[in-house]
Amino acid sequence: MSLTETVPQARRRDLRIPLAVVLIVVALAAPYIGSRYVTHSLIIALIFMLPAHGLNLLVGYTGLLSLAQAAFFGIGAYTAGLLAVNYGTPFYVNLIAAALVSGAAALPLGIPALRLRSTSFVMCTLGFVIIGQAIAKNWVSVTRGDMGLSSIPKPYFELGPLSFTVSGTTNFYYLALAVGVLATLAVWAIVRSPAGRNMVAIRENETLAESLGVPTWHYKLIVFMISAMFAGVGGCLYAHYLTVVSPLTFQMYYSTTMLIIVLGGGAGMISGTVFGSLLFVGLTEALRVAPEVRMIAYGACLLVLVFWFKQGFAPLINRFWNAIGGVK
Amino acid sequence: MLSTVLEQVVNGIVTGSVYAIVAVGMTMIFGVLRAINFAHGEYYMLGTFGAWFAIDYLGLSYEASIIVGVLATMVVAYVVGQLVMSRMVGAPAESGVLATLGIALILQNTVIFVFGGGYKFFSGGYIEPISIFGFSLAQQRILILVVCLVVFVGLELMVTYSRLGMAMRAVSQNVECCEVVGIDVPQVVSRTFILGAALAALSGVLTAPVNVSVYGGMGELITFKTLPIIIMGGLGNVRGTFFAAMILGIAESLVATYVGLQFRDTVGFATLILVLMWRPHGLFSTQARF
Repeated sequence: MSLTETVPQARRRDLRIPLAVVLIVVALAAPYIGSRYVTHSLIIALIFMLPAHGLNLLVGYTGLLSLAQAAFFGIGAYTAGLLAVNYGTPFYVNLIAAALVSGAAALPLGIPALRLRSTSFVMCTLGFVIIGQAIAKNWVSVTRGDMGLSSIPKPYFELGPLSFTVSGTTNFYYLALAVGVLATLAVWAIVRSPAGRNMVAIRENETLAESLGVPTWHYKLIVFMISAMFAGVGGCLYAHYLTVVSPLTFQMYYSTTMLIIVLGGGAGMISGTVFGSLLFVGLTEALRVAPEVRMIAYGACLLVLVFWFKQGFAPLINRFWNAIGGVK
Repeated sequence: MLSTVLEQVVNGIVTGSVYAIVAVGMTMIFGVLRAINFAHGEYYMLGTFGAWFAIDYLGLSYEASIIVGVLATMVVAYVVGQLVMSRMVGAPAESGVLATLGIALILQNTVIFVFGGGYKFFSGGYIEPISIFGFSLAQQRILILVVCLVVFVGLELMVTYSRLGMAMRAVSQNVECCEVVGIDVPQVVSRTFILGAALAALSGVLTAPVNVSVYGGMGELITFKTLPIIIMGGLGNVRGTFFAAMILGIAESLVATYVGLQFRDTVGFATLILVLMWRPHGLFSTQARF
């Protein structure tokens, strides 16, 4: 044995599987552990996690700062609400329709918007939210204007002869959890695929990515549409949970909330978005802060994230994963 | 028929003057910082609230309340400038967007938190109408027009001849070279920012008697109207901003009359998107400066 050989350090135990088991148990038992109010907060957090996942694909992986997420959230909410109120369609039909309509709306909006860069792109996407709100207010024959859609029925499923309705906070929590888990897995699949690596290449250096044969334009457009689909799914859950959709679903405050979730959790990190939505939405809901105080806190969060914590909680989350994964 | 159109055009010019005074500050701030100030409308709101506070709580006259509103806004702008805007020199565009969005949230909701979210009645101002050339026009509107002209002539002179104006133009061209020749860039940025915020506040105080109501969320709408104006005018272009504001003001007023009041507030963003598509460097600049 030579003297230069270092003594291998003792590996710490890999605690990832036990942790996953604990997390799954907690997630499943949450409605029974916490109060009704905690369950409600978790549902809101899960609803906002969906558009945030979409935004993370845009901001975190492709490097496009967009404020349009609230517009697609609103389109999804109106699509699901209108279908449920007018035709009484089952939940999964509403969900798929909301995703498809939002995604389809993103195509004509994305083509002009994505020609722009940085600040111009931000302003253009902000315009979509404002114009979306104006349409929701003024297309009275469909959206019922300022009155909005009310008494949207509870989500129900119809499988052949079987049909059941999801009612009550606890049951809705499981529905939101299921959708949230599926969405998270979908993001994971996208990010891990070669397409996900191309997205990161576009984020890091678009010209270089283009020169290496990545069709950057198509990538950006498709990611924009996928992110809108995620927002649409979130909007569908939102409409069914709150049972009311008003033109105020299109508001910049929602876009800001989604941005804070993504940047706070750590852009370009799936666990960051999950953590961020629980922290920023769940916590503020559960603490029942007055809306003004909450928005002041959001504003302060944005400043802190921009200047002092550029990566949000990502370094902390990374360290945590490494620690429990047994990596020194 | 013709007189209604003319009346709407005159109204549009007054509205345009209001937008112009706000937008010129924003475009100058863009010039030195290369960042769109999404919080700019909030200074308009702060000015109005300062004046409203001075009239309702301190019992001051409208003239004094103008000074109170503008000075209070300048103090806030100084603090924000020192804490936040100075960090934005040379930072990527995205962080500027996020930071100013954060400031907008903080300013707007602090005011709502302190004074409540409801509409407040603004009692000051010169609202008696007088008639010129057969038009009846409130005195306040004429005051707005006059102030707008004075502000723009003053700014043209300042940007062209004064030391600060020349420094501003230098910073908007090349930050590094300014540092090499000894221009105090953070100071120029800070002064430009305070000047821009003060102009927004002035515009707010002057408009308050016409709008009558004052509320915490009013700044956001102004920000949304200012964005298309500064893009149309060509970012950093003072003269272009003036004409763009007039175009938007007149367009809004005509749309409100002939299409429907509810569509007035979307004119701006529809214009913004169209201009960004076809002339991203603005209607008046011959080439993109930024």
